[in-house]
Amino acid sequence: MRLIIQVLVIVVLGFFMELLLPWWSVAIAAFIGGLLVTTRLNFLAGFLAIGILWFVKALINDLVTDSDLTDRVAAIFMLHSKVLLLLVTLLLGGLVGGFAAMSGGALRKYRV
Amino acid sequence: MKLAKFFTSLAITLLLIYLINRGWTIGSVSIPPLGKFLDPFHGFWQNLEPTGYQGKKQLIIPGLKAPVTVVYDSLLIPHIFAQNNDDLYLSQGYITAMHRLWQMEFQTHAAAGRVSEIVASDAVLNYDRRQRRLGMVYGAGNALASMGKHPAIVQYTEGVNRFIETLDYKNLPFEYKLLDYQPEPWTPLKCALLLKNMAQTLNMGDKDIEMTNALKLYGREMVDLLYPDNEKSGDPIVEKPGQWNFQAITLDGVPPAIPDDLIEIKKLAVSDPNTGSNNWAVSGSKTYTGSPMLAGDPHLDLTLPSIWYAVQLHGPEINTMGATLPGVPSVIIGFNDSIAWSVTNAQRDLVDWYKITFRDKSRDQYLLDGKWVDTRKVVEEIKMRGGSTFYDTVVYTHWGPVTYDNQFQSQNELNGYAFRWIAHDPSEEINAFHRLNRAKNHAEFMEAVNYFSSPAQNFVFASVSGDIAIRVQGKFPVRRKDEGRFVLDGSKSSNGWQAFIPNGHNVMDKNPERGFVSSANQYPADSTYPYYITSTEYQAYRNRRINQVLREAGNITFRDMMRLQTDNYNLKAAESLPLFLSYLDSTQLNHLEKQAYQVLRSWDYFNHANSAGASYYEAWWDNLMPLLWDEMQNETASLSRPTAYNTIRLLRDKPELPFFDIEHTQEKETAADIINRAFILAVEDIEKWKLDHTTLPVWAEFKDSYIPHLLPPLRALSIPVKTGGNHDIVNAHSRTHGPSWRMVVSLEPSGIKTWAVYPGGQSGNPGSAHHHDMVARWEKGNYFPMLFLKAPDENIQKIFYSTQLNPKGQ
Repeated sequence: MRLIIQVLVIVVLGFFMELLLPWWSVAIAAFIGGLLVTTRLNFLAGFLAIGILWFVKALINDLVTDSDLTDRVAAIFMLHSKVLLLLVTLLLGGLVGGFAAMSGGALRKYRV
Repeated sequence: MKLAKFFTSLAITLLLIYLINRGWTIGSVSIPPLGKFLDPFHGFWQNLEPTGYQGKKQLIIPGLKAPVTVVYDSLLIPHIFAQNNDDLYLSQGYITAMHRLWQMEFQTHAAAGRVSEIVASDAVLNYDRRQRRLGMVYGAGNALASMGKHPAIVQYTEGVNRFIETLDYKNLPFEYKLLDYQPEPWTPLKCALLLKNMAQTLNMGDKDIEMTNALKLYGREMVDLLYPDNEKSGDPIVEKPGQWNFQAITLDGVPPAIPDDLIEIKKLAVSDPNTGSNNWAVSGSKTYTGSPMLAGDPHLDLTLPSIWYAVQLHGPEINTMGATLPGVPSVIIGFNDSIAWSVTNAQRDLVDWYKITFRDKSRDQYLLDGKWVDTRKVVEEIKMRGGSTFYDTVVYTHWGPVTYDNQFQSQNELNGYAFRWIAHDPSEEINAFHRLNRAKNHAEFMEAVNYFSSPAQNFVFASVSGDIAIRVQGKFPVRRKDEGRFVLDGSKSSNGWQAFIPNGHNVMDKNPERGFVSSANQYPADSTYPYYITSTEYQAYRNRRINQVLREAGNITFRDMMRLQTDNYNLKAAESLPLFLSYLDSTQLNHLEKQAYQVLRSWDYFNHANSAGASYYEAWWDNLMPLLWDEMQNETASLSRPTAYNTIRLLRDKPELPFFDIEHTQEKETAADIINRAFILAVEDIEKWKLDHTTLPVWAEFKDSYIPHLLPPLRALSIPVKTGGNHDIVNAHSRTHGPSWRMVVSLEPSGIKTWAVYPGGQSGNPGSAHHHDMVARWEKGNYFPMLFLKAPDENIQKIFYSTQLNPKGQ
């Protein structure tokens, strides 16, 4: 339960920070989420939160366009389909979110 | 322990962010900053425009004097309504940059030899060095001296910069994100560079060095046989023998000496020899409506984003529409309320190479009229991506920059080759377009075109008042016979251009009796035209086909004009295939070759998309040329092949020509042997092609055309197209080159009607639905009726959306 709350906090925080700050602001969001709502699975929470946030946002952008640019970018990256590009996006966002949340969690545990 | 865990994970986080917040180059592979690029809130996912995407309805643009209304039609063509000229051009700059900024800037970088700043490689560095050594920035700077203060350029520049200021990473054009760099401020020099870029595309072709080598290797008689100045193929642009009623300027003094050199430099190709265009106008006596009609289709390297951007400009005393060059104010090819115009390339040789004799290898002084004269040295700094700088010292003589010397493509320490190019001279093209956009009749057209000096063009004209006209316009030096054909001795100032042909002496015609004017890059005039003319190549087929159709046509409708623009009749094949087939020994053919022979015998000479005969003919031709002219593949010295027209003439009239012998074989070959051999190779090529493809070898499939991205390595961004035509055919679409803008205008007194299409789309953003939305119709030879408005709210149901541009503080 607490894990779900932690994920949601990071997603919401990440979403709003992205509106104001560059891409790396998702790390701040995940860090804060790890620090304030610490669980035993901080990395997983951060990974899921930012990974899903990025995946869903990218997917929406791709669904509402008539353009085939996503396929073409996938080809530039030598990926066979745009699904793979979406997964790479998820993975990158997830890793940044995961490690940032882990850092936040570790700081909390140190203080406590 | 816990502290260690915190620092470790924090360090990993920061390292990860660092690693994907910057780009990396591994070997020859460049990776963009992946975190920035793939972040869906700022990265490339933001460049995906949602279905039906519309831009902002209100914009505040500092610098505007009054509100401007921009109306977009369904093709995203902006119709700009401004209350004064300054606002009109500022808005044109802003809106064009909004759709095409990356392209505009990339093309100026390419022109100026600055591509290394974006992508670094040895080939790119060589390209950049060549651009610098051709004096592109030098020429643009000279042009700027005469037109840099023109209000259109000043305002357009301001408009582009106002747009650039609105950018942050999120709304940066796609290519900047992918290649990981930022736009820099726009300048008037960049407008001039884009005009020079076009001049380079159209007017830098020359073969002085190749001709000089041919002269040394083959002798004068053979040179005149292989490369005649005038092939007399028929149908020059203007034919009025004996009616050139002016006193031509003649030059006194000794004509330049014919050189005796073999020039061992590795010459770099500067432009596609297939570049060309068609245009024509027919008078009301030949049209269905009784009003004149005009057609134009410039042929260029096709790219995405497209070379052209369509715009309507409306302001006080101006209402014009047509194709613009992104980065240059005004309409370049188009129409207004009263007239229409289009251009084709005039082809004339306006490039000369001068052999420079340096005093020593320091290149500090060169010989001129018996004295040692100081050179001027310019150190070109080529900044390379990654931080290093390449310095190249370019020597300037009074002729121009020394392109080839011991520092570049040549080993010769004491000689260099200086480049004299008409486009290095100050000129006022921007004034020509400014006036052309506002011209009301033939007299004003002529006055406007007087300001146009380079790249020399054949302007075709038609007016609502019923006139049609053509004019070959450019700044042309008065040449002595053979001058400009070969490399000239740069140690004699008398070898320079002594005088220019007055505008009034240029080739032109108005309302000729035959009821039409036309041009397709052919020889400009009949042989009684008093000035000496030479060129790299003049077209010999498209012009004759166009004139043949127009001569026979009557009651012409706009559909007939479109049909002619997309005409696939292969006149070259009609004139050469019967000859080739007659040389073919059909008793010696194997089964596959017999089949090919039958296909060719029953072919109708149309390069239609679904024609198999066209594939066999073109494969035959493409194998024939290199076999015939294998002597021209010289390792050390550049040589050029004779033209297609002259090749066919020689095959017919001189089958025993020693050139037709293949050098590396024992036997003595003649035209017939080579034609047979090329045929066998062609059939082999097609059979090989069949193994890799499931479709029949019909022409569109075999030609395999595509429209590449402006940066060719981005092959994933190119679009395949299946079309007929080819070079030397009116529908001049070869593999990646062809009609870049097709326009048909009917000049009716009740209002001008125009149909147009180009192989691309208005938006330069590959994530936009308008990135290449015109390609499908262009491919099929169909057009869009152009919406030409008198007021922003004139045709509300055809309007996609409109934007109000407001001055700051209102």
